[in-house]
Amino acid sequence: MKRFVVGLGALAFAALLIGALLEPLMANTPGGVDLRVAVAAHMTASGVDHPVTAVLLNFRGYDTLLEIAVLLLALIVILAIGIDPECDRPRAANPVLQAMARLAAPLMVVVAVYLLWAGAFRPGGAFQAGAVLAAAAVLLHLTGLLPSWQLPGLKLRWGLTAGFLIFLAVAAALIPQGALLQYPPAQAGKLILLIEAGLTVSLGLILAGLFLFLSRDPGDDA
Amino acid sequence: MIWLILLPLLWASLAFISGEGRGKWLAIGGLSGQTWLAFDLAQTVGAGGVAVEHLVGGWGAPLGIDLAADGLSAAMLVLTQCVALPLAVYAGAYYKRGEVAGAYFWPLAGFLIAGLNALFLSADLFNIYVTLELVGLAAVGLVAAGGGAQQVAAALRYLFATLLGSGLYLLGVALVYGGYGTVSISVLTPLVTSEAPRLMWIAGGLMLIGLMLKTALWPFHFWLPPAHGGAPAPVSALLSALVVKASFYLVLRLWIGPFAPLVAAAEWLAWGPAVLGTLAILWGSWQAIRAERLKMLIAYSTVAQLGYLFLIFPLLTGADAVQAGVMQAFAHGFAKAGLFVAAGVFIKATGQDTVAGLAGTVDRLPITLFAFGLSGMTLMGLPPSSGFLAKWLLIETALDRGYWWLVLVVLAGGLLAAVYVFRVLRQAFLQAPANTSLAAVPRTLEWTAFVLAAVSVLLGLRGVELMQLVGVMR
Repeated sequence: MKRFVVGLGALAFAALLIGALLEPLMANTPGGVDLRVAVAAHMTASGVDHPVTAVLLNFRGYDTLLEIAVLLLALIVILAIGIDPECDRPRAANPVLQAMARLAAPLMVVVAVYLLWAGAFRPGGAFQAGAVLAAAAVLLHLTGLLPSWQLPGLKLRWGLTAGFLIFLAVAAALIPQGALLQYPPAQAGKLILLIEAGLTVSLGLILAGLFLFLSRDPGDDA
Repeated sequence: MIWLILLPLLWASLAFISGEGRGKWLAIGGLSGQTWLAFDLAQTVGAGGVAVEHLVGGWGAPLGIDLAADGLSAAMLVLTQCVALPLAVYAGAYYKRGEVAGAYFWPLAGFLIAGLNALFLSADLFNIYVTLELVGLAAVGLVAAGGGAQQVAAALRYLFATLLGSGLYLLGVALVYGGYGTVSISVLTPLVTSEAPRLMWIAGGLMLIGLMLKTALWPFHFWLPPAHGGAPAPVSALLSALVVKASFYLVLRLWIGPFAPLVAAAEWLAWGPAVLGTLAILWGSWQAIRAERLKMLIAYSTVAQLGYLFLIFPLLTGADAVQAGVMQAFAHGFAKAGLFVAAGVFIKATGQDTVAGLAGTVDRLPITLFAFGLSGMTLMGLPPSSGFLAKWLLIETALDRGYWWLVLVVLAGGLLAAVYVFRVLRQAFLQAPANTSLAAVPRTLEWTAFVLAAVSVLLGLRGVELMQLVGVMR
């Protein structure tokens, strides 16, 4: 009975949303804004050639700055709660898997660097590159080549925070230009690459940390 | 004003780098600077009579993100820094060295305050969503930090409520973007008319419900008492005094901003929040009167006090209602922070979180008890406290519009508050059982409670400046 009511409610909600979307959108709202035109018009001043990167790191870079803070915060919350880690991999490591992982990991690092570089002119960028780095760390961990992380040491804490701090420093350093994150068009490309390089490393560590801090190696059952 | 966002982000990250339990002086130093910045901003806005703007990246809306501080924003910023600074001093003395619960308090609190400041300054609907996530996640982390199973369960419930709330808000933002192609409040506001497409009504409804859930308005309050009552005292104070006010601020901002033409087209709509607010006052006070645990009593009192904030919605045809709302936010912010930190002192001294355990504390902790009484005075609305001023403004505005039953609700709420406050005071004046002993408590804890409570009372004398400031609208 309860499931029926919940299902009916969800169905009605979905119907309401679909009904709203069936209305012609931009057309019947006089004066609606088309941001695609605005983005295209300012691409030359953005310092990069790909509109997604231009929006994420330049036009709406402030959103991205706060989103990096959210990701860092998520990791701090996990550390603060102190969830009991569980061992989620077999005791004996498979030598074939280990050999494959040893081959794959360096390749993944190269892919990450390429994705970072490609972000300037095609889909890619710091988030994708960081995710690949994190995947490499998780792969190494699951095949038993990389131990799980306990409480973060000073170096790891710097690594986790560095990308955010670089972004914050660049954003603040540009305030004399007129506003937060106001890149001078000539240097915009270089500054964005600097920010993204820092973010790639830190995001890789943060995303890997979300997995590795919650994991435990076989053997230390304490 | 941009430094009000960057400074807490900076000290929060540095506190994380410097290690577990460290960062107290970074936080107190940073917050002192922020307090000065907030007052400076309020001065600029109040003297200039116009909102201060900052176009991030130099692009300007709709391409970039705008930040804007009008009187309402500036007032909320002043409240945030002025409550957070004494709480930082308190937390520094509250957490013992090496205590698990306090290991990550400073970075979490820093990100929380950065999120709040960013929210109050933002003039972009999507950017506000990001700040809501920052605030919500930090608040959940603070509730859960190092606690037992019960505390983590309360935090999880809080997490689901706050995620559902921000999810509904985000859905609303997506619909608005689909309809108008922009998320900038200043660009959107002139585009919306009373003949707005149905989509805008749905978006407004979703955002309103999501934000009421985050503000814990009755009947969405279910997550608040366990989360606020179960957390350590400095955390409860931060959450009750500031975090729930952020989503209320946002409801108000949208109600008098982009959604104003829709609200004007359907005047009955404003009675929804007001009726829920009335029920919140009655239900929350009743639960507070019955509560066994001291912090639960204070948490239910928050449910009741939040109700007053929503009484202003039918009165929003004039600027005076916003002033009454902000005054209530200030009164409750300082008084509730004072109550929770005083409760923290009592719990540390008696070793138990019950109202019954307070017997005999009048001899040993007179300053704390006095602070509790002063804060209670603000909640009851006795003159000259800021609570009195808030209720006075509310009653005056309601009579002006001829809504006499709102006056009855406000008066009844004050009486009910008196019942639960005097319940605690009476217990504290009783003779202690012969074999009880109270633990020693650092003096800093007692005096910060006193400062917060005293501010909540004395603010009533400086209310005029605050109301002038709030009068400056975007």
